[in-house]
Amino acid sequence: MNPIIQTDKLSKWYGNVLGLSDVSLKIEAGITGLLGPNGAGKSTFMKLMTGQLKPNIGEVLIQGERVRNNYTLFSRIGYCPEYDVFYDELTGWQFITGMLKLYHFSSPYVEKKARKALEIVELMQDKDRVIRSYSRGMRQRLKFAQAIAHEPEILLLDEPLNGLDPLGRRKLIQLIKTYRDEGKLIIVSSHVLPEIEVLTNKIVLIHQGKIFAQGDIHYIRDLIENHPHMISIICSNRRKLALKFIKEEYVLKVEFGKVKNRVTIETNDRDKFFSSLPSVLRENDIEVEEITSPDDNLQAVFDYIIGK
Amino acid sequence: MGPTDTVRLKFYLTSIKKVFSFFFFLGKRARKTKAFYLLSFLPVLISFVIKFALIFSEHRDIQGIYIFTNIIMAFYLQFLILVLALFFGTSVCSEELEGKNLTYLVTRPIPKISIILGKYAAYTLLTIFMTVVGVVISFVILNLSDLLNFSLYKILLKDIAVLSLGLMCYMAFFTFFGTFLKKSIMFGLIFSFGWENIIQYFPGSTQKFAIAHYLKSLLPAPATGRFAFLIFRLEPTSPAMSVFMLFLITGVFLALACLLFSYKEYILED
Repeated sequence: MNPIIQTDKLSKWYGNVLGLSDVSLKIEAGITGLLGPNGAGKSTFMKLMTGQLKPNIGEVLIQGERVRNNYTLFSRIGYCPEYDVFYDELTGWQFITGMLKLYHFSSPYVEKKARKALEIVELMQDKDRVIRSYSRGMRQRLKFAQAIAHEPEILLLDEPLNGLDPLGRRKLIQLIKTYRDEGKLIIVSSHVLPEIEVLTNKIVLIHQGKIFAQGDIHYIRDLIENHPHMISIICSNRRKLALKFIKEEYVLKVEFGKVKNRVTIETNDRDKFFSSLPSVLRENDIEVEEITSPDDNLQAVFDYIIGK
Repeated sequence: MGPTDTVRLKFYLTSIKKVFSFFFFLGKRARKTKAFYLLSFLPVLISFVIKFALIFSEHRDIQGIYIFTNIIMAFYLQFLILVLALFFGTSVCSEELEGKNLTYLVTRPIPKISIILGKYAAYTLLTIFMTVVGVVISFVILNLSDLLNFSLYKILLKDIAVLSLGLMCYMAFFTFFGTFLKKSIMFGLIFSFGWENIIQYFPGSTQKFAIAHYLKSLLPAPATGRFAFLIFRLEPTSPAMSVFMLFLITGVFLALACLLFSYKEYILED
């Protein structure tokens, strides 16, 4: 598959402050999650990809074309900025149609596309209200509407789920997945790991302006193989189970939590642990109610990598 | 000019028109516009008070057109068009930066220069409209008894043309400084009420470094009286040269603004 977005040694400084350093990426169609804490460089990356910022080193190519000052490219890109800003004197309808007119669509098309975008984000009923009176969630949906209204092939969404209620969040996630199914390229940035987790496995971890890791969550897991893993087990005899494992070299810590019958074992070799677990349970006649891995999620991966 | 150039030119002009429509529409609704409408109606109030006072004073023979000319000179030329151009001109770029709405404009398939030129045109037309309404109403109030004297309308039209030219020129100047400087309002105030108000009274060719000089050269000089000091030491440039200079200044500063806006990197602060 050919990469649609390609960055080569992309670096950006704000005076002496590092914004982004040596970022080389090839991004293909589908959803890519750009993950990192606040100030990690996600928005700088987004702004470089939309040509709003000029890289100090390197460049961004979208479909083989340079981005900065290449205005023709923007008919193919939809960008949802992180800022909660609008022309507040306008109504939702005026804002969307105003933005669409800048794409040189004819008036009937502008209206058709605006209607479609507002229907998608469920703002048709409130289209004639001034934006100033919109709630935070409505503003967020309107921002998303302006990004999709011209039906772009590439969607760059900077913290799109911010300020949405759980229902709105779920709807937007579903919507983003629909665009993925249509073969579009979508980059979603967020500092909230579960948000990205439900959207995609393909992630780019960014911290202090640098790419810490990229790939799917399992690949990132492999990268941190040596890091201890937690396995939590609720069973009929937790002390007996703990006793059997405590003598193993690959077990680093055993902990009894407040939850009745739960034991949490920390290991630096998960494969070895799971291969010996069935026989230990069988030989000691221990019944298992639940096995979970509390740190087997993106948050844990992220915490390990940034060295928390 | 080849066919490709024609297509490109047409695309640029259409983009400017689209930006113009958007900001003219937006500008009409803006709170700032409403506030400045009030300011631009101040001379109407002044005209009304003067007219009323004249009815009861012993100077009933003072002609309305004389007072009107002085209001144009003292209030419009020296103050109102400067203030309007300063606040609207600098905001062509700075309000997009401060409001962070620039991000919406620069991620659309339109050339950056069309953003500057379209918004400049929208705001210039808006300020001209604001000015003209006040001028016309003031004219009517002050010349109520003389409204059938059609020669007065020639003066009115000339005044409107000069004020419009002034707005066009000052707006271009401040648009450039709005794209260039962060604290453009401060600079604009110093320029408007410092430089412009001092340099124009310098003798010889120094006064030609003020935009006000070319505007005053186009207006009929008021007769001797209270406001005669406003044309103190005016060594007028010919009307044709004045118009040329005003267009030249407009063109140069707009070109600089477009160039700067296209290549400068604007960092929206968090």
